[in-house]
Amino acid sequence: MWINYLKIAFRNLRKYKLYTLINISGLAIGIASFILIWIYIIDELSYDRYHRQANDIFRIVNVHDFEGVGENSASSPFPVAWTLRNEYPQLVKNVVRVFNRQLPRTLIQHGDKTYNERRFFFADSTFFQIFDHQFIYGDPNKALDEINSIVITESTAKRYFGEINPMGQTFRVEGQLDFVVTGMIEDVPLNSHFTFDMMASISSLRKPYGGQLPNTWVWNPCWTYLLVEEAKEEELESLFPAFVEKYFFDAEKEHISLYLQPLTDIHLKSKLDYEIEPNSNASYLQILQAIAFFLLIIAIINYVNLSTATSAGRAREIGVKKVFGAYRHQLVYQFLFESVLLSLFALGLAIILIDVILPGFNSFSNKDIHISLLLEPWYLISVTALGVLTGLLAGLYPAIYLSVFNPILVLNNKLGQVAKSGLGRKVLVVVQFTISIVLVIVTLNIFKQVDYLNNADTGFTKENVLLLPISGTKLSRDFEAFKEELMQHPKVLSVTAMDDIIGVAHNTHEFRPEGFPEDKWQFYPALVVRYDFLETFGINLLAGRDYSEDMKTDPEKGMLISEAMVRHQGWASNEEAIGKKFRSLRGEERIIGVFENFNATSLHEAAGPFVLNIKENPNEIRFFLKYIAIKMDAAHDKETMAFLEKKWMEAEKSRPFEYNWLDQELEQLYHDEEVLGELSLNLTLVIIFIALLGLFGLAAFMTNQRSKEIGIRKVFGAGEASIMKLLSFEFARLLLVAIAFAWPLSYWLIDEWLNYFAYQTSMDWWSFLHGAIIAFVLAMLITTSRAFIAWRANPIDTLKYE
Amino acid sequence: MIKTSELTRIFRADEVETTALNKVNIDINEGEFVAVMGPSGCGKSTLLNILGLLDTPSTGDFMFLGENVSGYSERQRAKLRKRNIGFVFQNFNLIDQLTVFENVELPLIYLGLSAKERRTRVETALEQMQISHRKKHYPNQLSGGQQQRVAVARAVVSEPKFILADEPTGNLDSAHGDEVMNLLADLNQNGTTIIMVTHSQRDAEYAQRVIMLFDGQVINEKLTPSKN
Repeated sequence: MWINYLKIAFRNLRKYKLYTLINISGLAIGIASFILIWIYIIDELSYDRYHRQANDIFRIVNVHDFEGVGENSASSPFPVAWTLRNEYPQLVKNVVRVFNRQLPRTLIQHGDKTYNERRFFFADSTFFQIFDHQFIYGDPNKALDEINSIVITESTAKRYFGEINPMGQTFRVEGQLDFVVTGMIEDVPLNSHFTFDMMASISSLRKPYGGQLPNTWVWNPCWTYLLVEEAKEEELESLFPAFVEKYFFDAEKEHISLYLQPLTDIHLKSKLDYEIEPNSNASYLQILQAIAFFLLIIAIINYVNLSTATSAGRAREIGVKKVFGAYRHQLVYQFLFESVLLSLFALGLAIILIDVILPGFNSFSNKDIHISLLLEPWYLISVTALGVLTGLLAGLYPAIYLSVFNPILVLNNKLGQVAKSGLGRKVLVVVQFTISIVLVIVTLNIFKQVDYLNNADTGFTKENVLLLPISGTKLSRDFEAFKEELMQHPKVLSVTAMDDIIGVAHNTHEFRPEGFPEDKWQFYPALVVRYDFLETFGINLLAGRDYSEDMKTDPEKGMLISEAMVRHQGWASNEEAIGKKFRSLRGEERIIGVFENFNATSLHEAAGPFVLNIKENPNEIRFFLKYIAIKMDAAHDKETMAFLEKKWMEAEKSRPFEYNWLDQELEQLYHDEEVLGELSLNLTLVIIFIALLGLFGLAAFMTNQRSKEIGIRKVFGAGEASIMKLLSFEFARLLLVAIAFAWPLSYWLIDEWLNYFAYQTSMDWWSFLHGAIIAFVLAMLITTSRAFIAWRANPIDTLKYE
Repeated sequence: MIKTSELTRIFRADEVETTALNKVNIDINEGEFVAVMGPSGCGKSTLLNILGLLDTPSTGDFMFLGENVSGYSERQRAKLRKRNIGFVFQNFNLIDQLTVFENVELPLIYLGLSAKERRTRVETALEQMQISHRKKHYPNQLSGGQQQRVAVARAVVSEPKFILADEPTGNLDSAHGDEVMNLLADLNQNGTTIIMVTHSQRDAEYAQRVIMLFDGQVINEKLTPSKN
C-alpha cells in the first residue's frame, strides 16, 4: 500500500514539475525562515541560562524616585553587596560586584602591545563561584583571591601572548598597576547579558582608592549580583525597605527602593539606567514569531491552493481507486502521506538553505549559532516534527477535498461539477494577499520609525561630533591647553568635555532646589561638562546665558537647567528660573541659564528635567571628565584627522589614538530596532516571494483550466486586452478584498508597536498605499503575463482537446 | 443474485428534478450475461451505477447477493464492491501514473492481499488478457484495444462475481471491440456474471438477455440467441 503511495507520489511530482517546484521551494523557504527565526528566538531566550545557578542569581536594582525624576539604576553603591550578605546570611548565599570604574576603556599594555580594552571589569573573588565559566587554566575558586590578579579569555590571551601559556604573565593597567594572569577561560558565550575579555580582582583597587574601596552609599557604580537561597527571593525582597532605612544616605532613603531582577530576565526585559550592554526586547521576539508563523502559513496555503487546483489531474485516480474499493480514509492517508513526503523533502532543502544563510545571519544579528545545533536530539525531533506537521497541515484540506470526489462524476468526465467553485481557494488567496500587504505596510513603518530614531531631533547636534575618551589620560588634566591647540585648526569648530556621552548615558547628582527643606536632597539627571558645551552640541539657550570663561564665579556658582526642569520645579517661566538657587554638595549655586530640552538617553524615554554642571577644580575634572567632544566642520578630511592624531600623540604618547563619532554611538541605542527592521524586511521579501510563487502557479493553472473558454472567445474575435482583463479581473477582485482587510489590521499593528516609543514618528499613510500598490502591481504582472500566454495559444489546439 | 424492486432514482439540481430511473424491476441470476440498451439519457448509466454499488436509489429496494443494500453507507458499499464487482469503462479509466502491472494490481491492494499473491494474480490476469508483454508500460504507451484489455484484466483480477461494463467497446474500432467482447464472453463462460451497458446491437448479441430502457423505465426484456 505505502509503496503504491510512494510510487504515485513521485510520478505525480514529476508530472506536475512546475507545481512541484513551486510547492517545494515555497515550503523550503518557509521552513528555513521559520527555523532560523525559531533558533534566533531560542538563542534570545537562552541568555545567561548556561550558569548552573542561573535561577537563583539576581541583580539588585536601585530605584531613585524624586517626584518622577531620578533613575532606575542597574548598579548599586559599593557597600550594598557585602552588607546584604552579612545582614542576611541565611538568605544570601553569595554576592559579587562587577565594576568598570565607569570608564568606557581601560589602557592595557604588555610588552610592545597596547590596547584600549572595552571589556575590562573588576569583580569580587566570588565572581567565578556564582557565574560558570570554563577554566582552561587556573582555579575558579581562587583565581581572583589575590590583589592584582586577572582572568582573561582565550582569545584575549591569543591577542597578547599568541600560543604561549598566559598564566603568570603580567599586564600593566592604565600605566600604573601590574596584574598577573591567574586564569584563562573560554570566551564568554555571546548569549550573556554582558561579555568580558578581562576580569580583575576588585581588591586591587583598594590601593588606588586610598587603602579601601569606596564606602559611600550614594555613588552607585557596582553591578551587584546575589546568589539567593532557592525560592527565598521574595522573602529577601521584603527585607529591603528595612535595609534601605538602616544603611542608605538619610537625605535619599525615602526616595530609594531596591528590588531583585532575575538574571535570566535581564537580556529581554531590562531597560534600566546604566546597563552594562544594551539589552534586547521581548516584544520584538513576538513580532518575529508572528512573522515566522505567517511565513509558514503562506507556504502551506500555496500547497493547499496548488494541490486542490491541480486535483483535476488526480480525479481519475481517485475515482478508479474508489470504484475498486478504496475507503475514503485510505485516500486521505495517501494524500497526507504525499504532503508529508513533500514537506520532509522541503525540510531537507531548508536545512541546506539555513547552512548557506547562517554565517550572514550570525554576523548581522551578532549571534553564534551553528547548524550542528539542529543535530542535537531535542532540535532534531522538533525540526522533524515541524516538517511532518507542516506536511499534515498542508495536506489535510486537499486530502479531505480530494477524497470526497464522487467517482461517478469523475469517471464520466464531469469534473466541472467536482472541482468547481474554488471558494476555499479564493479565501486562501485573500489570506495570502492580506498577510503580504500587512507585512509590507508594517515593515515600511518599522523602517520609518528606525529612521526617525536615528535622525530625530534629539535636541542636540549629532553629526560631525568626534568623541575622544580621556579618562585616566594626561588630557583630563591638561584639557584647556589641548583644547586651545585643537581650536587652531580651521575645521575644528568647537571643543568641550563631559562625563558621559550625551544622549547615551548620564549620572544623577544631588541638589536641593530653593524651597526644599534642609534634608530633602533631590537626585537629578545631570552631566558634568566644560565650557562651550551648548555650542558644541547646538543646544539652544532659552533664557539667561551660557557658561562663560570670563565669569570667574561660574564654575562654583553657576548652573544650567533644562526647560523641563523649570516645569518640574513649577516655575512660571524660563526667565523666572534665572537666579533661583540650587544647593549642591559644593554649596549654593545659581541658575544662570535655561536650555531647550534634549534627549539625555534614548528616544525610548521622554526628555525629562536635566542639569548641566561645570567643574573647575582640577581633581574634579580628572575624576569626572571622560570624553572630549569635538565639533568638526562637515568638510573635515584625512588631514584634519591626522592633525587630531598628531596632537593626541603629542599630549598622550602612551595611549593609542582612538575615537568614535557621536552619531554612530547613538545608533547603537537602536541596534535592536535596526535588527528587527532588517529582519522583518528580509522576511517580508521572502513572504512576498512565496506568495507570488503560489500566485504564479495558481494563475498558470486557472488559465489552463479556462483554455477552452479562451479558445472560443478568441475564435469569436476576442482581443488580447479583453482576455487579459477577463483573467486578471478575478485576482484583482480578491486583491481588493485583501486590501480591505489589510489596512485596518496594519493600522492596529503599527499603532501597538509605536506605542512602545516615547518618541514616535507619525504613521506613514503612504505606506498603506505602497503596500497595496506593490501587491497589486506584482499580482497583476503575474496574472496578465499568464493570460497573455493563454491568449497566444492557438484555439484549434485548445478546442480540439476535449 | 441481483434483484431490484420499484427502483427509482431522482436527481435534483436547483429547481430541476429529473427522474433517471422510474420503478425499475429487474432480476439477474448468477452466470448471466445481460446487456442494458436504450437511447442517450434513458437511465442506463444510472442503473449501472446503482447495480455497481457506486450510487444508491432514491426509493425502492435493491437486493445484492441476498442483502438489501439500498440504504448502505459508502463504506459498506465499498466493502461489498471491492470483493464482488469488477468494472470496465468506455474510456478505460486507467491511472496514467501507474504502469499496466500496477493498474491491474490496484484492486488487490485494497483487498489487502500480500505482495506475492498480488504478483501471481496479476501475472495470471495479464496472461489471460494477452497483455503480459506490456506490463511495464504506462497506459498512454498503449493502443485503445490494449488499454481496454488492461482494464478488463483489472476488472477480473480480484475474481469478482460480477463484471459491470459501461460501453466497453465505445472507444474502440470494430476489430478491437470484438476482441474485448470475446474476452467478456469467455469470462461469462467461466461463470462470471456480466452486466453491460451498450449502444451497439452487435455487442448486445453477445448477451443472453437484453433489457431495454426508455425514459427510466424497462420497456422490453428479451432473450438473444447466444453467439457462442
